[in-house]
Amino acid sequence: MLGTEKIRYSFIVILLQCWSSALTNESIPNALIIRLRTTSALDDQDVQAVRSLPVMVKHYQPGQAIVRDGDRPAECCLISKGFCVRSKTTSNGRRQILSIHIPGEIPDLQSLHLHVLDHDLITLTECTLGFISHVSLREITRRRPNVAEIFWRDTLIEAAMFRDWIVNVGQRPAPSRLAHIIVELRERLKVIGQVQGARFEMPLTQEQIGEAMGITPVHANRIVKQLRDDNVLEFHRGSVRVIDEQKLLELADFDGLYLHQRPSL
Amino acid sequence: MPRFHFHLVEDGRVITDEEGQEFAERDAVRREAVETGASIARDAFIRGSASQVIVDVRKGDELFLKVSISLTVEG
Repeated sequence: MLGTEKIRYSFIVILLQCWSSALTNESIPNALIIRLRTTSALDDQDVQAVRSLPVMVKHYQPGQAIVRDGDRPAECCLISKGFCVRSKTTSNGRRQILSIHIPGEIPDLQSLHLHVLDHDLITLTECTLGFISHVSLREITRRRPNVAEIFWRDTLIEAAMFRDWIVNVGQRPAPSRLAHIIVELRERLKVIGQVQGARFEMPLTQEQIGEAMGITPVHANRIVKQLRDDNVLEFHRGSVRVIDEQKLLELADFDGLYLHQRPSL
Repeated sequence: MPRFHFHLVEDGRVITDEEGQEFAERDAVRREAVETGASIARDAFIRGSASQVIVDVRKGDELFLKVSISLTVEG
């Protein structure tokens, strides 16, 4: 009798676990769908198809490599919670951060067609990631050409963002460079509803800000202080608070066209 | 590893480095100081906000090394 009770109990526990993991899995593509609906014309059937993609959910700690330069991944990674960066490191150990990634993005979507990764993808914060196999992605893009076009558009937008990143790092003085990166991040976070008033997440350390802008941590620290002393914005424990919107926009020299955040753009 | 603080002086205005960074060898500290000075000087000289940038590197309270970069325009 006791044995039966135990079995019944374990059965209920397993059922509950399945239910809770199904529940988490279902919410994984939410930000992706919001984002794709903003930038592209995603219809209800496309949404259904994206929602039905099998996703393996994993939790990562800050500073963990998801995929590395030289890896040959068999899956793509959809960020559900947290922030990641893509970076490349020179032979003498200097790291350049190439892009910052937020929930709803698939930073290594290119690995579906470019088989060996040519950079690192690393978590900045604790992350909940949904892994979607290349097999499933290839199947959905063949079955639904509209989804294939939207993914294609998504990687083209990403290329536009890299062009902007090059202009930013190559041509603007350091304070403008940081202001620009921050305004861009805010515009992208707005789409997925992660900006509360003047405050939003920006979980880069001063060293990482330096690596994004191609300057030393001490120079990054100086810029952060300058922006605060000039009453533009302030950093506080992984978030940013905008103090003076007008000053920030002037400094950032920002035209968001390259984000193509409407299907008509 | 010892911790080094990189204080900046731009035309006499001091910006202190409270955090500091750890370095294993002298050469790496020197490199960091020169690169920091050069990159800050580049911005400051172009903007016209300063014509001298000093990176004052301290190990604890002691002066460890000092990098000074000045702008001279002739003619």
